[in-house]
Amino acid sequence: MSFRAPSVLPGFGLTFGFTTFFLSAMVLLPLAALVLAAGSMHWSDFVHVVFSARALGSYRLSFGASFLAASINLVFGFIIAWTLVRYDFPGRKLIDALIDMPFALPTAVSGIALTTVFAQQGWIGRYLEPLGIKVAYTWLGVTLALTLISMPFAVRAVQPALLEVQRDLEDAAETLGAGRFYVFRRIILPTVLPALLTGFTLSFARAVGEYGSVIFIAGNLPMKTEITPLLIVIHLEQFDYQGAAALGLVMLVMSFTVLFAINLLQTWGRRRHLQAANS
Amino acid sequence: MSITLDQVTKHYGGVPVVNDVSLDIGDGEFFVLLGPSGSGKSTLLRAVAGLTGVDHGRISLHGHDVTHVAARKRGVGLVFQNYALFRHMTVADNIEFALRVRHVRGRVRRQRRQELLRLVALEGMDQRLPAQLSGGQQQRVAVARALAHKPEVLLLDEPFGALDAKIREELRRTIREVQRELGITTVLVTHDQDEAFAMADRIGIMNLGRLLEVGAPHDLYSRPATRFVATFLGAANLLLARRTADGIQVAGATIAAADRTSAENEHEVVAVVRPEEVELAPARSALTTNYLASGVVDEVVFTGALEKLRVRLDAAAQTPLLAHSGADGEAVELLQVTRTQHEQRGFGVSPGQNVAVGVRRVHVLPTPLSSFTACAASAQLAQELSREPLLTELAARMKTRITTRCEPKLGVAEADGETAADFVGTTVIASQTDCAHRAEWLLRRGARDLLVLPTGAAAPQRVLIHWMGEAARGATLAISASVLRHVPAEAVYVGIFPGQGSGGRRPHGIRELLDARSEAQVAHGLEMRTELRFGEVAEELARRLAESPAQMLIVGVTDLARFAERFRKLLDGGQWPVLIVHRGAP
Repeated sequence: MSFRAPSVLPGFGLTFGFTTFFLSAMVLLPLAALVLAAGSMHWSDFVHVVFSARALGSYRLSFGASFLAASINLVFGFIIAWTLVRYDFPGRKLIDALIDMPFALPTAVSGIALTTVFAQQGWIGRYLEPLGIKVAYTWLGVTLALTLISMPFAVRAVQPALLEVQRDLEDAAETLGAGRFYVFRRIILPTVLPALLTGFTLSFARAVGEYGSVIFIAGNLPMKTEITPLLIVIHLEQFDYQGAAALGLVMLVMSFTVLFAINLLQTWGRRRHLQAANS
Repeated sequence: MSITLDQVTKHYGGVPVVNDVSLDIGDGEFFVLLGPSGSGKSTLLRAVAGLTGVDHGRISLHGHDVTHVAARKRGVGLVFQNYALFRHMTVADNIEFALRVRHVRGRVRRQRRQELLRLVALEGMDQRLPAQLSGGQQQRVAVARALAHKPEVLLLDEPFGALDAKIREELRRTIREVQRELGITTVLVTHDQDEAFAMADRIGIMNLGRLLEVGAPHDLYSRPATRFVATFLGAANLLLARRTADGIQVAGATIAAADRTSAENEHEVVAVVRPEEVELAPARSALTTNYLASGVVDEVVFTGALEKLRVRLDAAAQTPLLAHSGADGEAVELLQVTRTQHEQRGFGVSPGQNVAVGVRRVHVLPTPLSSFTACAASAQLAQELSREPLLTELAARMKTRITTRCEPKLGVAEADGETAADFVGTTVIASQTDCAHRAEWLLRRGARDLLVLPTGAAAPQRVLIHWMGEAARGATLAISASVLRHVPAEAVYVGIFPGQGSGGRRPHGIRELLDARSEAQVAHGLEMRTELRFGEVAEELARRLAESPAQMLIVGVTDLARFAERFRKLLDGGQWPVLIVHRGAP
């Protein structure tokens, strides 16, 4: 790799300068401040905050529910995208526009809306109650809120990839004797897999960082329905900036690890592809 | 028969994209479906593959009706224009796809793959990805993949469309070799006539959803039956000529008619002169062939082996040459000529030079419609009539001309009345009150084909066909077939019998309908549906025409007695075009 201008377009130096400047000012600097704040703690204090039972419980909920939400979105986001891309029906444009609503809504509004519906006396909640299913103020509610606010990422990531799957490929597979499921498994899925993974990653990242919508529906019982971002706010409210920074650092490291792992998986998939080709 | 299509029809949004196509393709035959884009050839191929359903008709493969069988169970191999290779799979996986679906064991798969790769000359490319191959190589892989499951039929949908000329030729040869080696029945769809000539055992030419003509390349080229085939397959000059007792009369030349002599009296025909059948000489006396006319060279283009010229014929009264569309869609009235190097050395020409033009060979199209003559009581009305949209569209599609004719006494009964006037081609009059009377007037004076056209009539979506009297049957069918080749409409033969349609008449009527249908199919290549009605002829036809819009009637008549009276309902102020075919007793 070299820093020589890689294309005929001028202005590489200028744009690269802006890129590094912006990334530094907007992303790296705040992150560095976070690390610094946490680093000024005493080691035992740090361990005490980060590995307290309450913190461990919140990690489990935050990452577990996010993972679950992203998985749900992986499946249903794909189905929604498929419906929007492959079929033409009245109201298709409307539904397409509706997908982005969770983007535009203040997350607190989503949380309040969900609570209204799923609380014990809510529209749906009152029918679930006799069945012994409690949604609001349990981990189920948290997952639901995270699924809602991260759903657009999954749909929007898969949609363009599905558009690119040529009909001819399916036709070809069909004339070669493949049934629908076989075509889906061997032709469509491999083609959109990278997009699906991207959708999953984005959903997951969004869900981990979510705060506004969850606190309304979660009930926020320590150890049970308390997410890490909330724990951080609680620390802040007690003016324990260092504790908040420590928890923030843990989230940072864990999120980065997960995202990096998924990225590696994608690169690995591509490389395996090329290796198979070159051997 | 490997592939049998029986009256296959497919509509998209009410428009017939494939219109009543019937075809038999033999075992091991290489059949090429040739047509311009939008002619329905690809849709037909997809219907054979099972990827597109049909609205009407049947498709059989090797004697089994597969009309409602899913594509994956039809046992066909299909190759697409854009290759449609699975990009995330290696060449090996692509080729083995059909075998994996069928759970064929690995060893057998590998063996078959090697065999196929050798067949398409791609040995050792197993582990490449499609993206690492050139276009030609990718298409070879696609061919191998389509053959993996040993299909009984191979379908190729414009397989060379995306390749450059050199590769195209190479791949053509490969595919032809593979086809010969395997003896597999193959259908290739293309819009490229060179490709069709190079590969086909037989060619089927499609236009506007109809299969116009089927035949060996040479036969189709030298003896086309339709204007479309004559001009689409190679270049052709279309000329208006007259069939006389001596032969074919074109401008100055009378050429002995080699083909079947017609017992009918002298009439106008459309003649095809291929550019290579034209001879140029400095003077009439120097010609070795029939003198056609003199002309001026307009343009000379050197293309290597051949020289392409355009010659403007001298405007001797009226040029017999029918305008053809130039590359820019503009009408040109120039004679196309191609000459070999040998001819060029004998007599070199340059633009602006006067030449004598001769023709070696003329082919007369069996088409019964030659030209249109818009006829009205005044020149101005005739002019207006000649600009009717339906008429101009028909003439443009038939690549023929519209002339005008003024008959000041049109419809005026005179004592000396029925002197036969010289009517050539199809006479056209406007639909108006008392036009039944005018029609009779014209028919009695020798008009053979008469089109009664309402103002602003739209192109018909359905053409009703009927004839009164057996003498008009052949001509009516021939003219219907000719019209329907140029109009994307469905043909319906309406059989009408007197009475109520009870008792023994019905079976008799149905038999007659079936006879008519098979004659239309066999003798004129016209696929038509049939309807049985009972009642008075003109009344029933009028009722049928009134049932839905955008219909046209072609009716054959032999007897002109009480014509105006009988046809008043059909013609006077009618909303539909009626083409009257008059044959039989003059």
